[in-house]
Amino acid sequence: MTVSAQEAIFMIMTAAAVLGFISASAMFLIWFERKVSAHIQSRLGPMRVGWHGCLQSIADAVKLLLKEDIMPSGADKVVWWLAPFMATVPAVMAFAVVPFGRNLIVKDLNVGILYIIAVSSISTLGIMMAGWGSNNKYSLLGGMRSVAQIISYEVPLLLSIITVIMHTGSLSMQKIIQAQQHLWFIFYPNLALSFLIYIICATAEVNRAPFDIPEAESELVAGFHTEYSGMKFAMFFVAEYTNLFIISAVAVTLFLGGWQGPLLPSFIWFLIKVYAVIFVLMWVRWTFPRVRSDQLMAFAWKRLMPIALVNLAVTGLVLIR
Amino acid sequence: MITFFKDIIRGALSLIKGMLVTLKYFFQAPTTLQYPTQKLKMAQRFRGLVDLHKEKCIICYQCVKICPTGCLAISHKQGEDKKKQLEIFNYNMELCCFCGLCEQVCPASAVYLNKIYEIALYSREKLHVDLLEPDKYAEWNNAGDNH
Repeated sequence: MTVSAQEAIFMIMTAAAVLGFISASAMFLIWFERKVSAHIQSRLGPMRVGWHGCLQSIADAVKLLLKEDIMPSGADKVVWWLAPFMATVPAVMAFAVVPFGRNLIVKDLNVGILYIIAVSSISTLGIMMAGWGSNNKYSLLGGMRSVAQIISYEVPLLLSIITVIMHTGSLSMQKIIQAQQHLWFIFYPNLALSFLIYIICATAEVNRAPFDIPEAESELVAGFHTEYSGMKFAMFFVAEYTNLFIISAVAVTLFLGGWQGPLLPSFIWFLIKVYAVIFVLMWVRWTFPRVRSDQLMAFAWKRLMPIALVNLAVTGLVLIR
Repeated sequence: MITFFKDIIRGALSLIKGMLVTLKYFFQAPTTLQYPTQKLKMAQRFRGLVDLHKEKCIICYQCVKICPTGCLAISHKQGEDKKKQLEIFNYNMELCCFCGLCEQVCPASAVYLNKIYEIALYSREKLHVDLLEPDKYAEWNNAGDNH
């Protein structure tokens, strides 16, 4: 494959734009989460650095950059070094097919949604590598739990996405949005159920509370990233919040009409919807306690799976009729 | 089978209930106080440092007598108009146990406990206060409400 100079420049520019957006978005989300959690608990949250602490994340990033990078003795060096990259890179890669606006998409692949699902599963590998490479029992347990959880929740997640694809007949993100021109998919009863299943599974996929057993503080210190410090820890953090953005963006694309909306430019509509979904996820996180490991598995296989399967069958029947 | 669906519905309803509770708190004003800039107003019966309304004092020595730790020391002299005049009213904060008995016993309500609560200091000498001095608590006065 040959690439012309123009194409190369375009590729570099989009990559830079995506990276810039990711770091800005992650820093904003960290601040936002701290504020949301604080107000839910009748606290103020960060208040000192900038207006209402809005520069707190930048201060934290600078601090993390300056921190010593410690490697535990007995760590599996290569695996330990690669793990943060394995966790972060898939999150960045998924941005390639996120439709920010009418024409604002890096590459509208005809298998967009499949690509996102495939790529975001790789970050599990990063978590597993971090758990294994750290030579720490807590990390290893966190990594193992993460893998078990993500494998379990991937199944109902995909089943819920398939119902949407059955309606649109296309895997392309832009085509899925165009199919919602008249009515968002969340207003179809069967797809509303799919949305619920999707949101629950996606929360579990990105290891957020109430499904955060891979990094359950009260049991596993910090789970897979216990041994990481400085910038490597920051990379896990960025990956976590980028994944949060991705799952919300996919939710918006599949069920909430994507960038479609009146008056405002399309990318603003997209961001409004994404941050609204993120707010709901944060709201959930700071409301519910963590579920136990066995409850988590039982919920995935005994509740979500049958419901998702029945939903799939019903959607099929509706479409055939 | 019925319990399966019952469980799901009951669980979903309880989740919504929980989320409404947190939403309510989300929109309520936070209870946190930004301490050095914002300060808590002390309760009416809060017992801070011993203070004195000079002009009300009738020099009866009851506060000195009742003080369990003996932290108050008074002396007086005969004024030119044959009336008692306060000469010294020393208060030793090192000994004070903030019991408030001096305030209770004072027949003229001259001795009282003020609302100052930030009473840490860098030097021990400053713990010996002459209550007759007008701005004896100037160093602490930025704290709380005075009387």
